[in-house]
Amino acid sequence: MIPLLLSAIIFLPLFGGLIVLAFSRYPDRCRWISLGITGADLFLVANLLVQFIQNPGAITVDLLWIETFGIRYALALDGISLLLILLTAFLTLLCVLVSWRSITKRVAAFHFFLLLSQTGVIGLFLATDLFLFYLFWELQVIPLFFLIGIWGHSDRVHAAIKFFIFSITGSLLMLIALIGVVMIHKSQTGEVSFSIYALNTTLLTAKTEGWLYAAFLLAFAIKIPLFPVHTWLPDAHTEAPTAGSVILAGLLLKTGMYGLFRIGFPLFPGAAHNSASVLLILGFIGLFYGAWIALAQQDMKRLVAYSSISHMGLMVIGLALWNRYTLSGSILQMINHGLVTSALFILVGMIDERIGSRQMEKAGGLWRKMPLLSGFFLLFAMASVGLPGLNNFVGEILILAGAFKTRPWVGALGFVGIVFTLVYTLRLIQEVLFGEPKTDDPYPDLSLRETAILGAIAIVVIFIGLHPDPLLNLLEGPVGELLGGTKNLLTLQGY
Amino acid sequence: MQSDWIVILPHLFLAGGGLLIFCIGAFWKNRPDGTLFITALLSAGAAAVEALAFSGSGTPFAGMVSGDSFSRFFIALFCGISVITLLFSRRYALHRRFSGDEFYGLILFATLGMALAAGATHWAILFLGVELLSISLYILIAIHKSSQAANEAGIKYFIMGSAASAILLFGIAILYASTGEMGIVESLNAPDSRNPLFLLGLGMVITGFGFKISLVPFHLWTPDVYQGAPAPVAGFLSTGSKIAMVAALLRIVTGASPPVWEVIAPVIWTLAALTIIVGNLTALVQDHIKRLLAYSSIAQMGYLLMALLASRGDGAGASAVIFYSVIYAFMDLGAFGAVSLVSLGEPMARADRDSLTAYRGLGYEYPFAGALLAVSLLSLAGLPPTGGFIGKFALFQAAIGADYMAIAVIGIIGAIISIYYYIKVIAVLYMRPTRVPTPHTFPGFSGPVACASIFALIVLMGILPGSLLEVIAVILS
Repeated sequence: MIPLLLSAIIFLPLFGGLIVLAFSRYPDRCRWISLGITGADLFLVANLLVQFIQNPGAITVDLLWIETFGIRYALALDGISLLLILLTAFLTLLCVLVSWRSITKRVAAFHFFLLLSQTGVIGLFLATDLFLFYLFWELQVIPLFFLIGIWGHSDRVHAAIKFFIFSITGSLLMLIALIGVVMIHKSQTGEVSFSIYALNTTLLTAKTEGWLYAAFLLAFAIKIPLFPVHTWLPDAHTEAPTAGSVILAGLLLKTGMYGLFRIGFPLFPGAAHNSASVLLILGFIGLFYGAWIALAQQDMKRLVAYSSISHMGLMVIGLALWNRYTLSGSILQMINHGLVTSALFILVGMIDERIGSRQMEKAGGLWRKMPLLSGFFLLFAMASVGLPGLNNFVGEILILAGAFKTRPWVGALGFVGIVFTLVYTLRLIQEVLFGEPKTDDPYPDLSLRETAILGAIAIVVIFIGLHPDPLLNLLEGPVGELLGGTKNLLTLQGY
Repeated sequence: MQSDWIVILPHLFLAGGGLLIFCIGAFWKNRPDGTLFITALLSAGAAAVEALAFSGSGTPFAGMVSGDSFSRFFIALFCGISVITLLFSRRYALHRRFSGDEFYGLILFATLGMALAAGATHWAILFLGVELLSISLYILIAIHKSSQAANEAGIKYFIMGSAASAILLFGIAILYASTGEMGIVESLNAPDSRNPLFLLGLGMVITGFGFKISLVPFHLWTPDVYQGAPAPVAGFLSTGSKIAMVAALLRIVTGASPPVWEVIAPVIWTLAALTIIVGNLTALVQDHIKRLLAYSSIAQMGYLLMALLASRGDGAGASAVIFYSVIYAFMDLGAFGAVSLVSLGEPMARADRDSLTAYRGLGYEYPFAGALLAVSLLSLAGLPPTGGFIGKFALFQAAIGADYMAIAVIGIIGAIISIYYYIKVIAVLYMRPTRVPTPHTFPGFSGPVACASIFALIVLMGILPGSLLEVIAVILS
């Protein structure tokens, strides 16, 4: 029953999307159907969560798919995947709600692509066959290309193409490396397999391993995005519609992280160890550089985009340190960042809808005009800087604590980075919420729909901030397995 | 002797159908509309069914043509290609007033030529097939008589094609002179593989093939001819005639003796690398869809050649080549088919809708043809969930599996470059403001049927390629 549930969760959005396409003449029906589909998917995931908590243990599906190539339809669910698909289902549901009024043209196609990207991302988080993983990995790029390119802002086509080229460049090089691993595995064992578990045992010479890992790392680094391959992200975010930004920041960036710790590190532990210091440095560059550039932005959306780069930098630092605390912290931070950054993008979108601009100089004094919106804005901005009691604090403190344990200077530097975050966020709050109003126009405060969207995120944000134990419990097992599965990496790292 | 004729029954259907169409055209003047079209469809269909249904064996006519499952598979594929071409060109030909007997008859004869070329085990039959194919295509390309571009393209293809045929024929003659064998495999198992005369012959044969498959540096005719030819014919040319030559090349590659292969392999390697690089780079700067598709098809042949290198040995390469040929046939036909569907409304004097600026917002103007073009391009770019993705994967896996890592890396870099021009067209289709819409012409029923079947095939091959791969495994065993 549960194995079937996994496939249902993956493919329900896809079928829903096809149904939506059939109703292309009735925009309102498209919205309601999409809401129903994403709601049903969230319900299924919640159902899965309940079953998983009652009866923990990895749930797997393993069916033969393309016999000639030894490709299997193999899925596995553990705590990490569960949390990530929960996030995916939750955010896609919010995307439908967010776009309710703002998307008015080609509504059916919009929801089709939205739902298609949900299928891609959920499938990616569950796949254990590398071919299947790769398929979903590329599949998620296509809908976002259309979401940005059709429903985006003025320079959308350029941004969409840039995003697409960056993504595919990484993934095609990864494809070559992937086939390389499989072929080496075949020459050693005589069987063609794409299973991550089988390929983990492949013996590689240091040089080959380095090259193959480099190709995987490039693909993941582009998605995360790590400095210096991050340049597509600000453009993509600036031009994307709000829902596109949510999908991008909340989900797509996470797939890069996920690939790195789920596939890159276990498959190539030796090379991963050698890359640790590079990843640390790149992570720090991302952390500081992102924050620094964010400080210089006038466009609120660009500011949030650069803050994303900064936050992702800290998560990569957590990965590179590769111990129980930092890894749990990084994974938890993926969820947190997904929630908080999405909320900020949604808020910027709402402000844009009201004042017709995303420039900070056009906003100001919103606190008096729209108290509810401003309250949420303050809450999520505070979450973003890691105010204790809110979710980001938990993830960041785990990463920093884990860092202090093994490499104090990393912890210290990371702490400085978080202080940087405070600077640009406070500037954002100060200019947008306070200060003098730029116009006398009254703006409507949040509608019921908008309050529901932000309220839902706020509840989760506060819940994780106050009581992160259930999530950390879910992560504990799989994190242990990741660490246990990479014993040689651990010994190399000096634990 | 009698069984000989049974083995070539598919060929007879094609030839008979072609002749019948010419007779109907000549003697039945007041026939109902669509007689020729239906006759051509039925002949091709019957040939395909015959090829698939009867498991023939042996090499009839003193071993000149092969009746093995390999050639039967390709006959079925060529019939499929011609059926799709017929469906796409039905309305197109009516509008441009070339739907006479010569058009339908020549499509069947060209198909016969492809079948002969792919199934030949004897150099003479190979040449016969290539010539039959080429001569039919010279006329088909220029069949839209009132179009100056089409006439120019026809002449260009005629000059280039006949030069290539001459080189091929001379090469065959030299091979015979140096080995004393006319059998393809026999002559390639010559004891003295370093004999200069033999090498000269081999080089000329490969050059002839290079022209017909349009490999770099023998590709310069391709974009001009594709641009001038009517879109359905261009699709037919870029799929059928190329795949027939690839099938013949596959026979040569798998049949050559190891010392001969040592001579051929580096040549194919170089041609593949050049074709991938030049094809993709030149495609980047094209602003006409048919020229872009022409360069894209050149690059696609480069990938096929790459896997052809790996076709000796465990069969992974040969399987990948055949699999990708099938996928390529449908996605390229889909792209050209979409061009022909949206060109229906163009005024008589003008050629096809060709300039990329004319494709702005076309995805909304023609939702189905636009979607077909987009999906075909995504498939050509090798993105999931299309057949092109599985096909590219198979090609690269074969190449890497046979330790051709360098060419695989060149190939993947080419594929990365290609993403840009494919995605550029898709962006034009859906993300640019619509130009002033042209009045729609009734597309008939055949075009949409072809459109839907290609769409279904591309997606099906992307999701469930297993059965086709198993069939190919059976063929190769």
